[in-house]
Amino acid sequence: MIGSPDGRPRTRQTIARDVPEFDVHDLDQPTRAALAELLVTIADDEFVLGFWDSEWTGIAPMLEEDVAFSSLAQDEIGHARVLYEMIARLTGGDADDIAFGRPAEAYRHCRLVDHPRTDWAFSVCRRWLYDLADSIRLGALARSSFRPLADVVAKIRREETYHLMHMDAWMRRLASSGLDSRVRAKEALDTLWVDASTPFARLPDEALLIAAGILEGPLDGLADRHRDMATGFLRELDLQPLGAPSGHGGRQRPPVSTGFAWLWNEFTMVRRQDETATW
Amino acid sequence: MTGPGGSPAQPVEGRHEDAGRLGDGAQPDIWEVFRQEKDGDPLRHAGNVKAPDADLATHYARELFGRRQESVRLWVVPRSAIRDLSDPDLLQPPLDRSFKKPGGYVMRDKLAAARRRTEGQGS
Repeated sequence: MIGSPDGRPRTRQTIARDVPEFDVHDLDQPTRAALAELLVTIADDEFVLGFWDSEWTGIAPMLEEDVAFSSLAQDEIGHARVLYEMIARLTGGDADDIAFGRPAEAYRHCRLVDHPRTDWAFSVCRRWLYDLADSIRLGALARSSFRPLADVVAKIRREETYHLMHMDAWMRRLASSGLDSRVRAKEALDTLWVDASTPFARLPDEALLIAAGILEGPLDGLADRHRDMATGFLRELDLQPLGAPSGHGGRQRPPVSTGFAWLWNEFTMVRRQDETATW
Repeated sequence: MTGPGGSPAQPVEGRHEDAGRLGDGAQPDIWEVFRQEKDGDPLRHAGNVKAPDADLATHYARELFGRRQESVRLWVVPRSAIRDLSDPDLLQPPLDRSFKKPGGYVMRDKLAAARRRTEGQGS
């Protein structure tokens, strides 16, 4: 690592720009702030889940799945990167600072992705619930009147469709692969189900985004569709979870969970050694 | 993945055998993967993956041979569908077959003669 004593701006020239050019002044300041808040919640969901699932690298049940699951996790971190770049454009900040420079309590990911990776069945079930939620959320954002967002989301969706197919296949395998895997899947779903709607938790300034046409309606209006789709699939597999999803208060707030405190320490460790380093 | 002879990959330390059990006594099948690097190229054998069904085989082929945008098309074929032909009686017969090769025709001399003829006509 080489420091930057002359104050040169950091460069990331090896990474192609995926965020389309746009004039931030097309949106008034409060709407910009509300949009940045929406994007942080989505980016943090992708980022945090990407890091949890990366923890399987080297220890997934079979070599092929090890490569596949790690690649999916990298895709999520890639999606987070694009969204952090867009936030940086909206707020005049730096994408790396937003991704790695915040204290643990400032991350806005939902409760569904706050759980540690636990066992393989748990990671598969959580990943499947999240990918299903993400596909519904991205579907709504693809219809956004804010063109740069709709364009970026269209690219992300093309990868997410494949993610969901992969996780559907794994859910079917867990359901059909003997008692042990069924029991583990059922336990995981029972734990996760209460948090299944948390990706759709209502945001404080959502009304501004709806008024501006950036969102077509309240986020938590998508939760019913998610629950119905998830329930339908799980009924087919005879893996109906106990209880009901709770839609409210779904974004992490202090105190930071023990699991996330550990993960935050892991993914910020290198940067914290020298925050002025350039790459 | 398996080696060229189809022998199973060495178990990786720390990998939990029971965690990867596929159930119903199903052993993962081997799928041979062919990849096309760019449109118009022939599909070349890329390697193989182990997977319990066609869907996961397709996913694994994508991850192992296409995740870095190095392919524009993959063919994923169950190894059991491949007809293996290696019988030496058919491919390496014992009798002399040199008369079936084009090497008997010495093109160099014929070309030289043809050039001499055309040069003669040109002058």
